[in-house]
Amino acid sequence: MTGMIEGGWEFVWSVYGITWAGLALYAWHLYRHEKAS
Amino acid sequence: MKAKWELGVGLFGLLLLIWSHYTGLFVAPPEAMMGDVGRILYAHVPTAWVGLLTYLVAFIAAVGAIWTGRWAWDAMVEASVEVGLLLNVLLLVQGSLWAKPTWGVYWTWDPRLTTCAIMVVAFGVVLTLRRQIDDPMRRLTLSSVATIIAFVNVPIVYLSVKWWRTLHQPYSSPDTVDGSMVTPLRVAAFGMLFLATGFVVRRWRQVNTRLAIEVQAPDLPEEPKPLHVEESK
Repeated sequence: MTGMIEGGWEFVWSVYGITWAGLALYAWHLYRHEKAS
Repeated sequence: MKAKWELGVGLFGLLLLIWSHYTGLFVAPPEAMMGDVGRILYAHVPTAWVGLLTYLVAFIAAVGAIWTGRWAWDAMVEASVEVGLLLNVLLLVQGSLWAKPTWGVYWTWDPRLTTCAIMVVAFGVVLTLRRQIDDPMRRLTLSSVATIIAFVNVPIVYLSVKWWRTLHQPYSSPDTVDGSMVTPLRVAAFGMLFLATGFVVRRWRQVNTRLAIEVQAPDLPEEPKPLHVEESK
């Protein structure tokens, strides 16, 4: 027993997935504004 | 709008972020206590640092807008609050997903988490306010004052882990993180910084253009009064 938390990759993937999705959506939002103007 | 330098800066940030996230996920060692869950560090900490920095830019722009009344500062308030809010929302979601495997809950009313939630609400009010006010000068003044008031909470968020007993760990810095984790963390921070800079500057140009059109547009004529036709007897 080392006391280290085991597993938890689902949380890691969720964080990275949501982060990249958020950044991509904002880039898309900027692109759409660009097109509209 | 033509491609400007901010596109290059944003793309460079994107490359740094891809490299650092890949390294953080697959190359860096697991954290001593948190194991693989500790890899959330490379996404969460740069989001926090750059989010707070973006709000600092919004604060400076708000002071500049009130001081000078220039639309360029006003556009910077809107652009930086918008990007800051994006990072702030991501920060809360990342934090909740990190809290579950380490603290056992997605959310707790801990000082750091609570002040972060207040930050989202306060800057959300700034953006809502900007969308509700039609008069450009009134919008500049009120949203700048709201930004300055909202910013009061930002140093409190930063210092909350020092001031109060909290579940949240103290500040992360190269001194508090193992050497093997420092490089991906540092590169991720610069990646997020460059990407956010690209976002803010691009958005600033768009808002600036919109404001220029808005300010130059002639006032609409008053609504015509209804005609009263007298009936002939």
